[in-house]
Amino acid sequence: MKEFLQFEDLTISYGGHKVVTSLSGKFVPGKVNLVVGRAGSGKSSLLLTVAGFHKEFSGKIRDENGKFDPSGNFSLAFQNPESLFFNATAGDEVEFALRMRQLPESEIIDRARGWLLRWGLEPDQYYKIHPHELSGGEKRRLALAACTVFLPPLILLDEPLAGLDRRGQTSLATMLAEMAAKHIVVVVTHEPEIFIQNQSRILFLKEGRGDWFDGNEFLALSLKNSDFYPLPGWYERAMTNFTDRADLPEVNATAVAEFLKRAASNANRL
Amino acid sequence: MQIGFKQGSSFLYRLNPLVKRGLAFVLIIFFSLAALEVSLLAGFLVCLLAMLLLARLPLRSIFFSIRRISLLLIIVGLVQGFKGDGFDLLAAFEGIIRILGVFFTAGVYLTISPQSELMYFWEIVFMPLEFFRLPARELALVMVIAVRFLPVMLTEIDRIRMAQIARGARLSGGFFSSAASLMPLMIPTLSQAIVKAEELAEAMEARGYRVSAARTRYHRFRFSFFDLIWVTLAGVIFVLTIVSRFSNFNFWC
Amino acid sequence: MILLDRVCFRYNEKMETSFKLKEVSFSCKKGTINGIVGGNGSGKSTIARLIAGLITPQSGEITVDGFKPNTHSGNCQFLAGIIFQTPDTQIVGTTVAEDLAFGLENLGIAHEEMLVRVEETAKQFGLAHLLDTPVHFLSGGQKQMLCIASVMVMRPAWIIFDEPTSHLDPWARSVFWNIVSGFAHEQNIGILVISQLPEDILHFENIFCFENGGLVFSGQVDELKKESSQLNWLNRPEAWKLEEILEACR
Repeated sequence: MKEFLQFEDLTISYGGHKVVTSLSGKFVPGKVNLVVGRAGSGKSSLLLTVAGFHKEFSGKIRDENGKFDPSGNFSLAFQNPESLFFNATAGDEVEFALRMRQLPESEIIDRARGWLLRWGLEPDQYYKIHPHELSGGEKRRLALAACTVFLPPLILLDEPLAGLDRRGQTSLATMLAEMAAKHIVVVVTHEPEIFIQNQSRILFLKEGRGDWFDGNEFLALSLKNSDFYPLPGWYERAMTNFTDRADLPEVNATAVAEFLKRAASNANRL
Repeated sequence: MQIGFKQGSSFLYRLNPLVKRGLAFVLIIFFSLAALEVSLLAGFLVCLLAMLLLARLPLRSIFFSIRRISLLLIIVGLVQGFKGDGFDLLAAFEGIIRILGVFFTAGVYLTISPQSELMYFWEIVFMPLEFFRLPARELALVMVIAVRFLPVMLTEIDRIRMAQIARGARLSGGFFSSAASLMPLMIPTLSQAIVKAEELAEAMEARGYRVSAARTRYHRFRFSFFDLIWVTLAGVIFVLTIVSRFSNFNFWC
Repeated sequence: MILLDRVCFRYNEKMETSFKLKEVSFSCKKGTINGIVGGNGSGKSTIARLIAGLITPQSGEITVDGFKPNTHSGNCQFLAGIIFQTPDTQIVGTTVAEDLAFGLENLGIAHEEMLVRVEETAKQFGLAHLLDTPVHFLSGGQKQMLCIASVMVMRPAWIIFDEPTSHLDPWARSVFWNIVSGFAHEQNIGILVISQLPEDILHFENIFCFENGGLVFSGQVDELKKESSQLNWLNRPEAWKLEEILEACR
């Protein structure tokens, strides 16, 4: 496990054109690290640079041991990771990454089964199934399981929720949050509100600049100015009177309702 | 930077697509066949460059993109140079000028021809097929879509490659890579190509595309007086090439 | 008006169990934002393709403004345009102008009118300065606009959006809903939006819910809201859940 992934004055360009300018700051394990911004703001470029695939950059990418060496230390999934499947069964798909790392046969199967279970795919039921027979949400989970089974310290995901229905989205978000306990999970997303918790780290990219916020700061700024980030209308309306609070609730009905109840009972006591 | 259409509005861009293609064709024949003095060949190339400069073409980027043939140029130069006894610098130079001329003409042609004109050209080429009741326009459209689709597929292949490498696949085995080790790349690429082609076909059909329907054309290409001048010029160059190559009467040197 | 009368569709005609749609009947009108919701595999995309005339039902009848979409040929009013999720695989032209013109070429529109329409539509969608730009130089947002413009230029009576919001960034989403509302309420274009994100329900006025190839609800969104707590197949928007919890406290 890595303690952090740090950027120092990182500038990313494409053919001389700067996409991200002098970015500093760090991703850490514990909570999902979110990267948010408009289409074309350099979110994907940042992932590719960290992964070592994009080389046109200046500045440093470090971890606690010095310069970050991406090889074998990360996994990377783009939109629709299901398109990576090339094996006949879900089990083979998960085993692939372990096999390429030449682990002993018995360990491969044990770890693959354990990992499938971890992603909510009961191995007895799913191991021998063809990947394309799975439902949309199951496919996505299998794809991400196959990408992460070798337990890389750094997990980079580009729009992992896109194309899923809401049930699939929330269950996947929960699993990623669990993963974040032992890995640095970086998620580029248009749906940050599904992930945001109070201590989430958010990197906000805009016009080449990168700013870091924690969940509460991000929510508060968005509530004050919906151009900064458009939160769902119902959340904005419910929270209009509380924009200065340091304990803004997560963006879901239960959390907001509890927050409002607490606020109401406090007001009564006064 | 890839060779490909760049926006522009100078006189070369406004040529009739068929004239453009014809001119490019004649120039390529000229550079490969014309039996002229090296100095004349070089002079011709310089004139051509001057004219292109006048037409405000992005010469630098064209040169930049054909730089990868520099190895070919060196080899051709060496082969030509050592053809006779010892090394003949002039012969080497001639070989290089010829190759450069051919590739440069092709580069310029692709730079000033938008897809619609390439398609128009293909339609004309496929026209004879209509006699056999084969759909010439549709075949031309297939060519164009293949070109339109290439960048989409290349990005996709790139993404698949990166993601599979992250999973541990060794795709860059180079010389020793076997077919089996390329499976993680090949199967997803193939299936994505099919998926994307299907999506595209559906999108085209949704916008009213039917193979048999009578279609109209957005672009119209006229044949102007200006085009006539260029056709004449192309004719002269062509005759010159043929005469210099195949007649014994050598009036140039 | 779109009318579906006992429409059945299955992809594999020989397999009795491969039903995508089972005896679906409904109708929807212009002037409001019609929405279709349902989870993965509920049959909602099949409906879109049927209405656009891309596939033909095995039984039952579909009419759009009185015409059958699958037999309705070009050369007259274009019935229903459909806009898909990913821009990259639905832009056919290599420049913006060519893509705008593609649909018109297929309809057999005369050259002069084509030029006028392409220019007008480009202006309307903020693409006028990009007409000769190769499409791979466009930004993501401009590509989305081009996809909408390329269908609009054909002046369709109806436009169907197939999960339009799932690939848009949040800023673009609000722009999108403004455009759709303009189409429906000011320009008298029939609008049918297919979505699986519960938050989109709040933008619909008239709604059709699908589950396993069958229509399980049709009516006003307000009616759906009233019944919603009893409907366990529905992914309710967070806004409704919140209202309900607060209601219960009072």
